[in-house]
Amino acid sequence: MSGPGYSRRAVAIGGGIAAALGLTALGVTVPRLLHRHRATPYDDLLDQLVDREAAVKLGKIAYAKMGAMSGLLDLTPKAPVLARELRQRLERRTLAEVTRSDLAMGRLMEIKGWVLPETMVLLSVLAALET
Amino acid sequence: MNPFIDARSLPTGTVLEPDLAIVGGGPAGITLALALAHTPIKMMLFESGGLDFEAGTQALYDGKNTGVHYLPLNASRMRYLGGSTNHWGGWCRPLDPIDFEKRDWLPYSGWPFGLSELQPHFKRAQALVEAGSWIYDDADARMNAQAPMLKFAAGGVYTSWFQFSKTRNDVLPTHFGTRYGDDLKHVPNLKVFLHANATALTLAGNGAVLDTIAGATLNGKTFTVKPKATVLAMGAVENARLMLASNGVGNQNGLVGRFFADHPIPRDTATLVHFAGDLPGYYFNGTSVDGAILRATLAPTEAFKRTRRVLGSLATIENPVELNELDKAAIVTAALAVGADASNAKAFSIGCGLELAPDPERRLTLTDERDALGMQRLKLTNRVSNEDFSRYRDTLKEWGRQLLAAGTGMIRLNYDTRAEWEGALDWGDHHLGTTRMHADPKQGVVDANLKVHGIGNLFVAGSGVFPTYSASNPTLNLVALTLRLSQHLHGVLA
Repeated sequence: MSGPGYSRRAVAIGGGIAAALGLTALGVTVPRLLHRHRATPYDDLLDQLVDREAAVKLGKIAYAKMGAMSGLLDLTPKAPVLARELRQRLERRTLAEVTRSDLAMGRLMEIKGWVLPETMVLLSVLAALET
Repeated sequence: MNPFIDARSLPTGTVLEPDLAIVGGGPAGITLALALAHTPIKMMLFESGGLDFEAGTQALYDGKNTGVHYLPLNASRMRYLGGSTNHWGGWCRPLDPIDFEKRDWLPYSGWPFGLSELQPHFKRAQALVEAGSWIYDDADARMNAQAPMLKFAAGGVYTSWFQFSKTRNDVLPTHFGTRYGDDLKHVPNLKVFLHANATALTLAGNGAVLDTIAGATLNGKTFTVKPKATVLAMGAVENARLMLASNGVGNQNGLVGRFFADHPIPRDTATLVHFAGDLPGYYFNGTSVDGAILRATLAPTEAFKRTRRVLGSLATIENPVELNELDKAAIVTAALAVGADASNAKAFSIGCGLELAPDPERRLTLTDERDALGMQRLKLTNRVSNEDFSRYRDTLKEWGRQLLAAGTGMIRLNYDTRAEWEGALDWGDHHLGTTRMHADPKQGVVDANLKVHGIGNLFVAGSGVFPTYSASNPTLNLVALTLRLSQHLHGVLA
């Protein structure tokens, strides 16, 4: 799928943007894809989120829930700890690839009942922490 | 032709002496009578009701409920010819092979035989419930040809299929009394008595033989039946009631009335988001194909049941639902993460029928109150364990994983706490388990031939003998089991 001159990650993000542009059937407003975010030390990670605004909404809820969880991370998920974990997971891999791996391995989290891939949720939490 | 006999017109003191007494004119009783038609066995079928609903007769079902909410005992079944097929929904699905197995992780599981014992009878059972040609889990290719099925990755949940008893004129679905009433009149070796209630069983021979059945009508007549053999076919609730009220016939080990079960039908248990939007009509309604009416359902695979120790569940896709901003954020984020195009996404509620684990304390007991015929009324103590809910939740979660892995959709689990589950609880009115089948008299009321342990000529038909319950609706399966019983009785009596 990825042609010459394009990284797999760029293609994955580009495909995501194309999908996001049409997310209207459920009344979802088109994400502000070109919204400029405040620069953070974690943009290498957060740039994998095509719609960071949506991820932040999800991440805030997830973060509130993680306080009551045990076993996922040893420490309360503050941004540096979380970023270190995510960099390990996402090293040389796209979010789509890691998500597929999460789903294959059954690494799931429930946020307000939604059954979601774990890394995607953690990345959303990081986005929320940095907003 | 043998016209139906109104037992209210019998002279008091009448003694009837059939070879086989069939007590109850629901799907089991009618199936048995039809299956033994044109044999040398002189049959009499005793139905408490008439040909239509009568409030006075229905009130004989009044009882008490305690525990987890359940429908009143007089509302979850029907007491006239045809029995509870007079209000069934026509949903059919055969039992799965695993339903018959003894599973070490599921106490009280294990039928005394496997699915192969029922398979020879399914063809005729399917014809009796009028559910068309036998398709069920061979339906994928046919339905895909109509419209593409919902795709999800391989895993613990698969698409299975219900078939439906067909529409016929103004009767939907097959009401056994209406459909087979005339057929019963043309069975030469059968007499059908209406408004004929069995009120007591009397044993002889030191309790080893059923001697007589006391009969009564609501206009005060009494009669006696002195059969060579008897089949109780009044449904799981009333069979247990008659046995308990008859000084505990068959209850030497205290099992009659225990292990009551039904299929909980919690509403709106989950929300399915389908990224591509609409789904084919066969997910929502019965759809005709090749002489049958089918509807898709989502079921745990046998492997998933074993590895995750879950029980049966049959989830159905129901109605469109609205979502809030957080829901939409979750959908956007997840769809993008799996590279899916969710531009046409739509959301639907998920309904379900669940299998309960056997529980001896979920039971029927007699009360001191009596009905118009002097019979003691029942009390149902209903229970559902937390594990019964959590097992199904695990199955839904697995389906959510499979959907996201395929990039086709996702799932929201709507209930977490017990209060939430109980608040959404409805029931299938599928009465099961109160006269359970087991080869060991200490673990079952009837043996593999549905004969009551310790009594040579008393049998029980219907889903009350199911030792475990499956998630499949019981009518097709109890009809098949009754056909198997008819073969045994033919060998014994003819």
